[in-house]
Amino acid sequence: MTKTVSELLELVEMEEHVGNWWHTFITKHSEQHFPEAGVCLSEIQHLLGIWFRALGGDGGLEITGADATLISSRRTILQRVAGTNNKTELAWRDENALRLPPQIDCFPDSKLNRDLYLWLGALAAMEADTHEEAWFAHNQKLTLAALQQYPGLGEKYLQLVEAHLEQRTTRRWPADEIAQEQAIRRALVEPGSMDRLPPARRMPLPVPLWLHPNPPQTASMPGSELPENSRTNNARELEEVQRKQTEQAQAEDEERGLITVRMENIFSWAEHVNVDRSTEDEENEERADEVARDLDKVSISRNGKAPKTKIKFDLDLPSESEDDEIISDDMMLPEWDWKKRQLIPDHCRIIELVAKDAPALPLPDRLHKTASKLRSQFQALAPARVWHRSRPDGDEVDLDAYLRYRTDRASGCSVAADNLYRQMDAGARDLACLLLADLSLSTDTWVNNHARVLDVIQDSLYLFAESLAATGDAFGIYGFTSRKRDPIRIHAIKAFNESYNSHIRGRIEALKPGYYTRLGAGIRYSAEVLKQQGAGRRLLLILTDGKPNDLDQYEGRYGIEDTRHAIQTVRNLGFHPFCVTIDKQGNDYLPHLFGNSGYVVIHNPTELPGQLPLLYARLTAQKH
Amino acid sequence: MSSETIPFYLPQGNESELFDQAWNNQLPVMIKGPTGCGKTRFIEHMAARLKRPLYTVSCHDDLTAADLVGRHLIGDQGTFWVDGPLTRAVREGAICYLDEVVEARKDTTVVIHPLTDDRRILPIERTGETLKAPKEFMLVVSYNPGYQNILKGMKPSTRQRFVGMTFDFPAPELEQEIIQRETGIDEKTAQALVKLAAALRVLKDHDLEEAASTRLLIYAARLIKSGMDASESCLAAMAEPLTDDLETRSALMEVINISLPRS
Repeated sequence: MTKTVSELLELVEMEEHVGNWWHTFITKHSEQHFPEAGVCLSEIQHLLGIWFRALGGDGGLEITGADATLISSRRTILQRVAGTNNKTELAWRDENALRLPPQIDCFPDSKLNRDLYLWLGALAAMEADTHEEAWFAHNQKLTLAALQQYPGLGEKYLQLVEAHLEQRTTRRWPADEIAQEQAIRRALVEPGSMDRLPPARRMPLPVPLWLHPNPPQTASMPGSELPENSRTNNARELEEVQRKQTEQAQAEDEERGLITVRMENIFSWAEHVNVDRSTEDEENEERADEVARDLDKVSISRNGKAPKTKIKFDLDLPSESEDDEIISDDMMLPEWDWKKRQLIPDHCRIIELVAKDAPALPLPDRLHKTASKLRSQFQALAPARVWHRSRPDGDEVDLDAYLRYRTDRASGCSVAADNLYRQMDAGARDLACLLLADLSLSTDTWVNNHARVLDVIQDSLYLFAESLAATGDAFGIYGFTSRKRDPIRIHAIKAFNESYNSHIRGRIEALKPGYYTRLGAGIRYSAEVLKQQGAGRRLLLILTDGKPNDLDQYEGRYGIEDTRHAIQTVRNLGFHPFCVTIDKQGNDYLPHLFGNSGYVVIHNPTELPGQLPLLYARLTAQKH
Repeated sequence: MSSETIPFYLPQGNESELFDQAWNNQLPVMIKGPTGCGKTRFIEHMAARLKRPLYTVSCHDDLTAADLVGRHLIGDQGTFWVDGPLTRAVREGAICYLDEVVEARKDTTVVIHPLTDDRRILPIERTGETLKAPKEFMLVVSYNPGYQNILKGMKPSTRQRFVGMTFDFPAPELEQEIIQRETGIDEKTAQALVKLAAALRVLKDHDLEEAASTRLLIYAARLIKSGMDASESCLAAMAEPLTDDLETRSALMEVINISLPRS
């Protein structure tokens, strides 16, 4: 018995081996890819970002990789045998991101592959938010615009076109496809010369030098036809068609390629989530449309059966008896709608809470050592201690003052011998700092085997408070979490007029992970609090673990832009916002929000508690 | 001072008229603007136009009131009093320009305040004098907002004593003319440099801390004019001063290379 099994296994392995070999052989001979010269997006993502923005691209867009898209262009016999070239990674731009292929290896020279990335970035930078043209004409227009604005790009473009044209093969094609191909070739060589793509039965070969509608149309849509015809009917529909990567379940099966593997060996792996979309838990229908548009691909089936599972996304608010004590619940704050470019007044309702019956607690034992080290560092770090000159008494003689006194006397002035000493003393810092901590549900995730994000945040709050109490700077600590625009729950942990004591520690200990992160509202609330402080310099320190998000449209670009607007407001008030995050992707979107030097990413979350007070010290350091 | 010696300055708006009026009405002026956009040059130009001597003080962390007002020094024949630049400007009816005023120590505000309200006096404690500023005297301060540590910045009570002007980089045509007049470079290169600067200025706050200044453009143009390779000149005069990050620098170089005219 055992023997048969092992024999069988061997056989399977053998088959697998041959399969692998065949795959390698056939792909190598059919694909126009040069992996050894390939350039990965991750290698030049940073550079591309700067390039894209410098050439006029929208600073709010992220640069990310695009998934492969199914295409149905004509393939060579080898490609069909190998089952390759039926997918390609296209580049396109939507309102959240510029999506580029994760790797470009279509040219044998890596410089050309790199230049192709730069070229696509330049094209995308020329693109306006909305346009009415079809893909074919639009790309020619973008090309012209790029070449006109940056004539220096011409050289790169010529090299790319030359290399790409060599790769476009047209052997024994039907006449309509040849005509289409020729139009594309001409459009590449002389951008702007062709306004219409001749129709053909199949999609043209992909043009890696061009951007695609967002996201690209797939297999079943022949070339230029669709956008041009439907535009007159309904602009909205057109938009949908262009955006959605529609997928027809019964795609044509003909000419799929030779089957060279035994069918029973094909493993398939599909994922299907059955969600009831017949009712929508949104404020209005428009929002549902927007959400649908943000998804890359929506497959809708009409099976008519009731879904097996129903996922309820909403988190329930705690019952009144369980909840914290409400201080106030009538504050309304505005929110920025970036699409309408206007501030919606009184959009978010703020509820201020304070932990009910928080016990008086000592500092947790695990923090004692760090806390005492920080305290002494903070006393010695000297943001608070400076030499005060010209004092009536002090530790040392103020030589400057003494010299002035002697010279004044010698020159015949009658001056009193006072204020000749200097003293090391606490300087008046005239500073107020508000720490705003994100308490959303995501803080419930574990950073390692011992601690959740929230534990790390709690430790950070303890140490921050311990350190600041040592400096004597005025500070307040607030936490926030939201469930859509009503309510935004603000947890007052330490108000500015309270002193740091065991009850404050009790409130820190009582913090629980909450709901979502409507960061803009949190920031606007903090600004209101800071406004009431008298200090000359006011610092808003934001502690977060990820992007702004909430259940409704407050996600992606909307949340980012609202947060950015809130930060601008804070800046305009003359306060100084600064963000501390443990989100490793922070570098992608934080520069847009806080500027190049207005944030810091802590890569190892467990370092946050120790780092936060030091960061504060660095931010407020005084030279003297 | 003859008109030939007036330093070149190309007005971008009504700043010259405003300055003239402020001078006529004995109002102190505060100029805000990014590094290298022409603040200092503007003051030099205006001082020459108004035929007033100019005392420029670059403020720094250790600049005290005594550095502005003056002090007693010890010499061979005992001690003697030496006027500081501010006192000298008041005595001569000159223009005193405090560059980057927020860098100075806080006690300097003590001497600035009485000079900037309608009293226009400078009490000199050490000599017992109180100078009354003549009507030709003018105090000008400048600073670069958003440049300092959060603890620095002008106090609102000090700011409220000045007439304010905000400077920014000149409009493209003006900037091109400035570069050509300053360096004598050809039109095409000047145009390309201005366009390049516009591209790089977008990156401020996102990828770069500071925008590429007109001063850097002039440096680059001078290097090109004296025969250096255009791309190398821009690397030395623009990319290097703007960033220390190697990746950012190579991104800037990509933009620089497509912006320069082909030779």
